[in-house]
Amino acid sequence: MARAVRSGTRVDTVLLVACCAMALLATVLPVNLREAIAGGLRRTVVAPLVSLQQQAERGRSAFLSREATTSRLDSVALRNMQLTRLEGENERLRALLGLGRQLEWGFVSAEALRVADIGEENTRTLTVGSRAGVEAKTPVVAPEGLVGMVRTVDPSSSIAILWTHTDFAASAMSADRSAYGIIYPHLSESGRGEDTPPERYLLELRGVAFRSALKPGTAIVTSGLGGVYPAGIPIGTVLGELRTSEGWARTYLVRPAVRPPDVSNVIVLLPKKTHDASLDRVWRSTISADSAARRIAAAGDSLARRAATDSVRAVEAAAARRAADSVARLGPRGDSVARPAPERAPVPSEPQPSGIRTPPRDTSRRAPPTRRPDDGTGARP
Amino acid sequence: MNWTRSARAVLAFTLLVLLHYTVRPLLGWRTPVDFLVIAVLLSAVRVRPGAAALIGFLTGLVADSLTPSAFGAGALAMTAVGATASWLKAVFFADNVVLHGFFFFVGKWAFDIVYVTAERRMHGVELATQLLLWSPLSAALTAVAGVILLLMLRPVLEPQAV
Repeated sequence: MARAVRSGTRVDTVLLVACCAMALLATVLPVNLREAIAGGLRRTVVAPLVSLQQQAERGRSAFLSREATTSRLDSVALRNMQLTRLEGENERLRALLGLGRQLEWGFVSAEALRVADIGEENTRTLTVGSRAGVEAKTPVVAPEGLVGMVRTVDPSSSIAILWTHTDFAASAMSADRSAYGIIYPHLSESGRGEDTPPERYLLELRGVAFRSALKPGTAIVTSGLGGVYPAGIPIGTVLGELRTSEGWARTYLVRPAVRPPDVSNVIVLLPKKTHDASLDRVWRSTISADSAARRIAAAGDSLARRAATDSVRAVEAAAARRAADSVARLGPRGDSVARPAPERAPVPSEPQPSGIRTPPRDTSRRAPPTRRPDDGTGARP
Repeated sequence: MNWTRSARAVLAFTLLVLLHYTVRPLLGWRTPVDFLVIAVLLSAVRVRPGAAALIGFLTGLVADSLTPSAFGAGALAMTAVGATASWLKAVFFADNVVLHGFFFFVGKWAFDIVYVTAERRMHGVELATQLLLWSPLSAALTAVAGVILLLMLRPVLEPQAV
């Protein structure tokens, strides 16, 4: 009874009516006035509550988006892994393009597919065959150097042995032609003794004359003897001498220029190219195989190509100017007039797409191969 | 009501307001728990109807400042709910959890009815769906949360006499 009396007091009623009236008034206020009052409240009294609400909503958004964020992170990581692989592949293909550009003609590029069978890890199936002009015993090269040799040929594919194959052998020499020998795969799978770990993916240069001592780091290239591999293809670098029972010849351990896991895209040299001595120029500066590989890779770079084209054009223009000046200086002398105009330097053409056989050029217009006296005879300079 | 009880009530009220602006957006449910209604109801039963109306009005005004399109609707609804709860508090003085739950349920539903009506935004089926489906669900959740909070805050709101 007392509570009912107390709650029915006039003050309570006035307060209730006033609050209801103000609330009703607030509902019918003009929009700009409502916004002004609400904005004033949000900026003052309600500001901490607004901040709390925003943080809570952000927390909820973060909680809800955690799975999506994790998925995005996984996708980015996966793409990053693929990107690294693609970068490596791109670099290899660019180097191969550069090698093709250096070779100019007489080759076909191919994919080297890994054979999954056990015991076939030393062979690769090439995606070119006899239709592309590939024959048995044609060399297979990569931008870094010698890969191996084609063993069997089908119309559209062929099988090549890598230098790790037991049947592989090549006539080799040091880059400065001071030592000759035969290169074989180093087959010390079990190691030399219990304390020596097995050495895989190495080569041996056997049959080097005893007086020809090679220092570690000496570049080894093909010698061109035997008629299978043309001269000048990098094989590797000398790691050191192997102790053998032979007293009349030395055997060296050679680190190969081409690693078998990196063999994915290769170039098959066609038989005509095998007999071309100009091949020696491709890897001529093979004092360091790495620098040669870098040079070849740079040749495949489009920017480097453009720069090379510009430089060739500049040289061509300078030569033309010099010729014109000399003609003007010398006057109408018969010998100078009869002198042929400077031959136009070959302007590098667009690179051939990978996998497309480059049509052989007219070799009669090319300078005849300058075979050195030692080619085919084994005599040293 | 002495100062200690007043301070405890203010503390509980502040805590519920904070919960309204932290837990509610964090949960993000379609039928949210209305901690402001719980705060107003728990305060209203401890003050006179005029003060309860004023508390409801100010609380509703704070809530309306974040929804300017319905400015005043929340203040009107909270005023009505607070004053009514204060007048009817004798009913809910019984220390019964079910009655308290019913008290919160009715309070929240009544708030929604007044709010949606004063807001004048919904019509027809949408209005019926809101008032007959979503509002009762929200009121039920508010009742459950209110009972749980009441049991947790009982030592604060009704301290044992020393």
